[in-house]
Amino acid sequence: MNLPNDVNSATQIATKTGVNQTTHANPPTKEQLAALLSRCVLHDQKAFAALYEASSPKLFGVAVRITRRRDWAEEVLQESFVKIWHHAGSYDSDKSAPMTWMTAIVRNRALDWLRRPREVRTSEEQEALLSAIPDEGPGPEDLASLAADARNLHECMEHLSDDQKRSITLAFFHGLSHGELAEEMGKPLGTVKTWIRRGLDRLKGCIDGLERK
Amino acid sequence: MKHINPEIGDQLAADYVLGTMPTRTRQRFEAILKTNPQLRKVVAAWEARLTPMASSAPEVVPPRHVWNTIQKKLFGKHSQEPEMQQTWWSSLGFWRAATGFTTIMLVVSGLLVLTPAAEDPAAIPTIDPATDSMMVVIMEDMQTQSPAMTVSWESGATNLDNRVLRLRVIGHAEMAPDTAWELWMVPHDDSAPVSLGLITTHELQVLRVPQALAQPLDEAWGLGMSVEPKGGSPSGKPTGPMLYRGKCIMA
Repeated sequence: MNLPNDVNSATQIATKTGVNQTTHANPPTKEQLAALLSRCVLHDQKAFAALYEASSPKLFGVAVRITRRRDWAEEVLQESFVKIWHHAGSYDSDKSAPMTWMTAIVRNRALDWLRRPREVRTSEEQEALLSAIPDEGPGPEDLASLAADARNLHECMEHLSDDQKRSITLAFFHGLSHGELAEEMGKPLGTVKTWIRRGLDRLKGCIDGLERK
Repeated sequence: MKHINPEIGDQLAADYVLGTMPTRTRQRFEAILKTNPQLRKVVAAWEARLTPMASSAPEVVPPRHVWNTIQKKLFGKHSQEPEMQQTWWSSLGFWRAATGFTTIMLVVSGLLVLTPAAEDPAAIPTIDPATDSMMVVIMEDMQTQSPAMTVSWESGATNLDNRVLRLRVIGHAEMAPDTAWELWMVPHDDSAPVSLGLITTHELQVLRVPQALAQPLDEAWGLGMSVEPKGGSPSGKPTGPMLYRGKCIMA
């Protein structure tokens, strides 16, 4: 019979979570991530370390992408993982994939950072906002590696007009209100609102259609 | 606001998830969300549709100090330390040092004498501590970090189809109304916890182990006990919060 031997793997994981971390040869499956989350509910710190190891490069990438500042992104990632630990019990595998659930937490925290009083946003950042937008999606060669939900979304985004796509992408990554979007894009408020409304309607129909297939 | 027109609710949810809602509207919307499960579902659906947009962001490995800060915030320690503080009753050395017989009797004596009325004591295999090997889990209260419950069973190849866990709740635990206590086996690998069933607050209890779980249980890391909705976890996975936890110790 094996005696408990939990310390070894925990420290191995902990030492791996440094700057030398390499990308997983086999990214963890949805089921594996969901299992780790359910172990976090039982306060399994080893599982939490494994979850961090598996998901933090992706999630930090999202935080960097949205905040556009590494120091902010680090704060966002910290706060997000604290939340993930405390709320792991409310994750429901019937409703969403683990990565989607965690990404939504990170994105919401990141947007909260951006929504702090606007004085902290410098004019360079304002300018960087627009220049960063052109080609958001992965190239066609990357599509195969994407999760099914991301592939569906990507495919459906292709059905939108350029204006719809651009306004939705800007809003998604920067949490801009309709008014701020209109200002950023230099278009009338009503026009931007219509782009977004029609774009979202179209996305919904397209994604839900693909999922039913 | 009791009822929201589904079409308007859907548009609001989309704006909320996309992030285009002005701050004040968003705060009002969040207040409504708290009391409106139907609207929460609509929001979840929009999150599932739009969140994958984030997958276009390239991966960036976070610096090591981020992990250290998370560890410190949550557990008040640095990453290299063992995951669980060793207390005298969970340290292997203690169990090895103590002579098997007296120690085991100390932990399970009450269980051998008394069993709940629901179980026929004669039907429960008796334990001969001198010859059989035992697994013991001293479950700690996560808040007070003091022993709250012991679970023990006769381990090994015998009695696989007739295995029982003997539980002893220490002190006078109380269960909140409309909740249930669910006992979980935590496997040694990273797989999900497996439910062993619901338990009560009675001091002495016996829980039958499904045959398929008898052997995995001997190899488990430990046990956990979580508070679940009445009737047990609806998802088959713990939803928490977690009350007690302990490691398996071979005695």
